Amino acid sequence: MKNNKIFKTIFTLPILVYTFILIVLPLLYILFLSFCTSDSYGGIIYEFTFSNYIKIFDLTYLKILFKSALIGVITTIICILISYPFALILRRKSAHIQNLVTKLIMIPFLTNSLIRTYGWIILLRKNGIINNGLIMGGLTSSPLNLMYNRFGIVVGMVYTLLPFMLLPICSSVFEINNDLIEAAKDLGAKPLQIFRKIIIPETISGVFNGSLMVFIPAIGYFFITDILGGGKIMIIGNLIKNQFLTARNWPFGSAISIFLIIITFLLVKLYKRLGGKMDDLGGF
Amino acid sequence: MKKIIIVFIGILLLCGCSSKSYENGEINVLNWSSYIPYEIISNFEKEYSIKVNYGTYSSNEELLAKIASSKNGTYDLIFPSDYMVELMISRDMLEKMDKSQIDNFSNINPMFLNQKFDPNNDYSIPFLAATSVIAVNRDRVKDEINSYNDLLNSKYKNNIVLLDDQRIVIGMALQANGFDMNSTDSKKLEIAKKWLLKLYGNVKAFDSDSPKTFLMTNEVDIGVIWNAEATLAHEDNKNIEIIYPSDGFALSLDNYVLVKGAKNKENAYKFINYLLRHDINREITNYYPYLNTTISNMNVDMNDLFNIFLNSSYVENIGSDISKYDKIWAEIK
Repeated sequence: MKNNKIFKTIFTLPILVYTFILIVLPLLYILFLSFCTSDSYGGIIYEFTFSNYIKIFDLTYLKILFKSALIGVITTIICILISYPFALILRRKSAHIQNLVTKLIMIPFLTNSLIRTYGWIILLRKNGIINNGLIMGGLTSSPLNLMYNRFGIVVGMVYTLLPFMLLPICSSVFEINNDLIEAAKDLGAKPLQIFRKIIIPETISGVFNGSLMVFIPAIGYFFITDILGGGKIMIIGNLIKNQFLTARNWPFGSAISIFLIIITFLLVKLYKRLGGKMDDLGGF
Repeated sequence: MKKIIIVFIGILLLCGCSSKSYENGEINVLNWSSYIPYEIISNFEKEYSIKVNYGTYSSNEELLAKIASSKNGTYDLIFPSDYMVELMISRDMLEKMDKSQIDNFSNINPMFLNQKFDPNNDYSIPFLAATSVIAVNRDRVKDEINSYNDLLNSKYKNNIVLLDDQRIVIGMALQANGFDMNSTDSKKLEIAKKWLLKLYGNVKAFDSDSPKTFLMTNEVDIGVIWNAEATLAHEDNKNIEIIYPSDGFALSLDNYVLVKGAKNKENAYKFINYLLRHDINREITNYYPYLNTTISNMNVDMNDLFNIFLNSSYVENIGSDISKYDKIWAEIK
């Protein structure tokens, strides 16, 4: 027993050290920076101030917050609409097929997401594959604007983030006890009633889990707005990046980052209140 | 299994043996990405037996962050632009240049010397220059275009690519309205913002990485981009015309500078001298057609160069007023 304890310490210690040095310390530094100001050359002046947080509530930045949230919500909803039916269909297949399909979802993840995003340019651009196909098929006479706008951004976000929705929804849908559904059928429930009374309550935590995993990156993935949005639409991720790279205002960038972390915490709180388990959030 | 391991170790050993040794030490260089062809660097390594540890960056701010956060002596030679040279001098981050060590310094075009960011070239030697230009695909756009204001025409909806650079784009809007491109006057900036909001509908994308691709694939017909990008697009399609806007345009001059505490100064001088050598220098601008800063390899004629200096401005340090630009940038996008 004693041995066991030593083992546990030995094996968890590297992770604790790793988390502390690479996650906790940088976050504390960002928190610290967010209360400082910057001088004209981008150096940091160590004077305590709340001004960076007040600046976030400027109308200009609130608009960016709102635009980001809108893109995040649309992305999340589309991901749910794709994932839910997919999981319900996959549920009826054999365990072998379920396994195979889940692996197929994971495979693209082995490639760099930046490269996959560039791949979309070939499909979506003015004389790209989709537009050429539509014109050849006579469906449109002039090429459609499929990217360098909000549509392109949402396509890229949905594509990149879909697995984060699919996997939690699949795992919660696969866990529904068949006996429950059988029993409901025996008692004369119609399919819609089964869906509303059994399937939704059983899987809602999976949906919320996926939504968290999709929504939060969707307001921060600046490379997708840069590549597929043509840098025309700014989301919070771009705003933070600009503070660090061009505006040389690290404290303001830090304050926005902390603000984003607070939003994430609030969403996780909401998730817990709706009955979600913390284990599911990190454990698929 | 054993066999595989033995073969594997053998391969590792072979790789180890084949790595060259450099008798004359090394230099640590940080440069813009796609600025010096790889062959030139490896030829230098062979000729001088000096190892070049070559890293890249994609913005002056990134360079500043890298230098500021690294230990003294990590880097020897870097290539900041005009305003960044000034900033680095003011922060005491640079080493004075001993120009007597660089024979080919005499090859530098005097037009590029003694600029206001380093009046006596104590710290910097010109490397390459870039100007922003308007590039127009004449296959598809026949109208006369001279000024940025010509781009406001609603005909060009979704048909323009701009650099994803707030100083250049807002500077262009200021110039279009007859102001200085480094103006920090709130009223002038407000006018520039309104002008950009008008232009926004015509903009297809902001891109600094490879805006020429937009022109070459016919995604857009007009671009306000760096001259080298425009030249490459022109080489691809001869009907892409390069226009120097009548309202003025941005000039950017990148320079060789030595970082404070550089450990391999001698080797850095040799490298600079090598890059300034007539034949090598020509190769660089043949590959990346920026403005050549030497006399023997000028790639525009003297008259054009005079006009460029007459009508262009450098991006200048504007201190904390950068936040005004940043806010406009956030409001436009």
